[in-house]
Amino acid sequence: MTTISIQEQTTRVREQASARRRKADVTSERHGAWWRLLVILIVTAFVLIPIAAVIWLSFQPGQGSAQTGVTVENFIVLAQQTSALTWLGNSLITTLITVLISVLVAAPAGYVLSRGRNRLVSGYSLLLFVIQSMPIAIAVIPLFILFANLGLVDNLVGVTIVFVGSTMSVAIWMMAAYFDSIPIALEEAAWIDGASVFGGFMRIVLRNSLPGILSTAIFAFLLAWNDYLIALVFLRSDDNFTLPVGLQSFFQQNAANWGLVMAIAVVMMIPPVAVFAVLNKYFSVGGIGGSLAGR
Amino acid sequence: MSSASVSDGLARARQGRNPAGRGPVRTPRNRPRNRQLVWTLVFFIAPSLILVALLNLYPVAYALLQSFQNGSLIAAGDFIGLNNYISVLTDPVFWRAAAFTLTFTIVGVFGSWSVGLALSLLLRTWIPGRNVFRVLLLLPWIVPTVVSATSWNWLVATPQSPVPVIFHALGLGEPLFLADPFLAQVTVCVFKVWISFPFMMMMMGAALASVDVNVYEAAKVDGAGPWQTFRLITMPLVRRSTFISWILMTIFCVNDFPTIFLLTQGGPANATQSLVVMAYRTVFADFRVGPGTAIAFLLTVVLVIVSVVLYRQIRKSGVE
Repeated sequence: MTTISIQEQTTRVREQASARRRKADVTSERHGAWWRLLVILIVTAFVLIPIAAVIWLSFQPGQGSAQTGVTVENFIVLAQQTSALTWLGNSLITTLITVLISVLVAAPAGYVLSRGRNRLVSGYSLLLFVIQSMPIAIAVIPLFILFANLGLVDNLVGVTIVFVGSTMSVAIWMMAAYFDSIPIALEEAAWIDGASVFGGFMRIVLRNSLPGILSTAIFAFLLAWNDYLIALVFLRSDDNFTLPVGLQSFFQQNAANWGLVMAIAVVMMIPPVAVFAVLNKYFSVGGIGGSLAGR
Repeated sequence: MSSASVSDGLARARQGRNPAGRGPVRTPRNRPRNRQLVWTLVFFIAPSLILVALLNLYPVAYALLQSFQNGSLIAAGDFIGLNNYISVLTDPVFWRAAAFTLTFTIVGVFGSWSVGLALSLLLRTWIPGRNVFRVLLLLPWIVPTVVSATSWNWLVATPQSPVPVIFHALGLGEPLFLADPFLAQVTVCVFKVWISFPFMMMMMGAALASVDVNVYEAAKVDGAGPWQTFRLITMPLVRRSTFISWILMTIFCVNDFPTIFLLTQGGPANATQSLVVMAYRTVFADFRVGPGTAIAFLLTVVLVIVSVVLYRQIRKSGVE
């Protein structure tokens, strides 16, 4: 079991439920189902209030607006009068580059962690495990001083580099956990046919690792997209903000204009929710959480 | 023949033996295929090693150095021995932050675990539209913290916000959720539980899904009640997942910056200041780099110990 996906969990529960239904008395199985539905409805409604509030407010008329009822006015103002689209662009580019580099670097390293189990490799694995538990704050302070000397403060390149650093340890673990589930016999067959180690990795292992690659990519995506601390420390000027710091600074300056603030919040939550909606079967909890079960 | 030796080498390496075969020699010198293997693996791991060394190890080493100096963000300082640590450890604000970090972590871990476990147990039973709820309840974990913090601000921050207005209408006074020190602590902790319970729900849900249903039916036949079933059957079967998720959530809570900072900035009167928030404010608001890195370093030492305990536990139970 490499990653705990909803899909996996769902199908498993469903299989067991259907097996149980065949055996057990149907009335006892469904006994109280409507009460449970009521409970879960109330809980879900309460849990979703803050998210529903964001969406609802974003469609309400802004301050001093002539509009009433539901309106998309806020989104028009957002596009024309705020820097939100610049922030969106900054967030997209830093996040996508982080995802790309993380996967490219973590996949081969994870392969070594998975296949080569000697003392050096186990040491590296433990080191990565310890690194993922360290506060980002301790990395941010020295890197800020270093990057200030290199001109990488208030610079999207600098932020991307720190993002990559903060994804690295977990991304390698996640890739290694996935490769563990691929039988080594597949590569051995390729080697006997004359493939090199590199060739076997590219043509056999990677080709069968799409779920693992996607899980790792989603992890890196969420980490970079949701990051607040790194962007807060490294970015100074409005033009360079990513969405989280942009939204926060806009909120501090326009606290009363909830419609517009929430419109930016909606723009910010669309990509992760869309990724989740499309790829939820590759979604693993807390990155390393899912990998731990298998290693 | 030569390609078979590569696979032999890898197979041996997997078992923790010397890939080159007999003897203690680690790098085989006279076998071209093995040399190719070693170089390929070095080439595979090198980029990650460089990044980890530069972006993870160098900062920790530099922070350790800084914590013994009186430098600033732009200039290196002089070596001042343990003075930073002494000034931090004798500062009551530090101990208050440590106490709040502990409260925040305990409430965060056990709050999210109980809610997550309860919901995963509920969603195991037959409920119409169960899978829809399973997906909807994960949203707090997926929505960016900045977005949910903004929304929580709207819900609770001022006396005119919806939640205080509802409390007032119910005759419960006009609570200032972010201005009263105790209520601010409660609000921040509840916010953390709201963000984190989906993680626990997924971890525990996956653990429960791997439990054989027949065990429960056997227990039912033997006349076990719901509480007995939970305590004597469910808990022992999900113990490993529970342990892993507790430790991971402890690490997440202790390291958490945005959840606290976005709601309260550590206020009012430092009531919700955790150690990470304090380290950030000491360095980037007060520009006292030495004490700030000292706090961050103390925190790191504690977390490294916690993660090594977890790692050993996983390795041990993995063998069973």
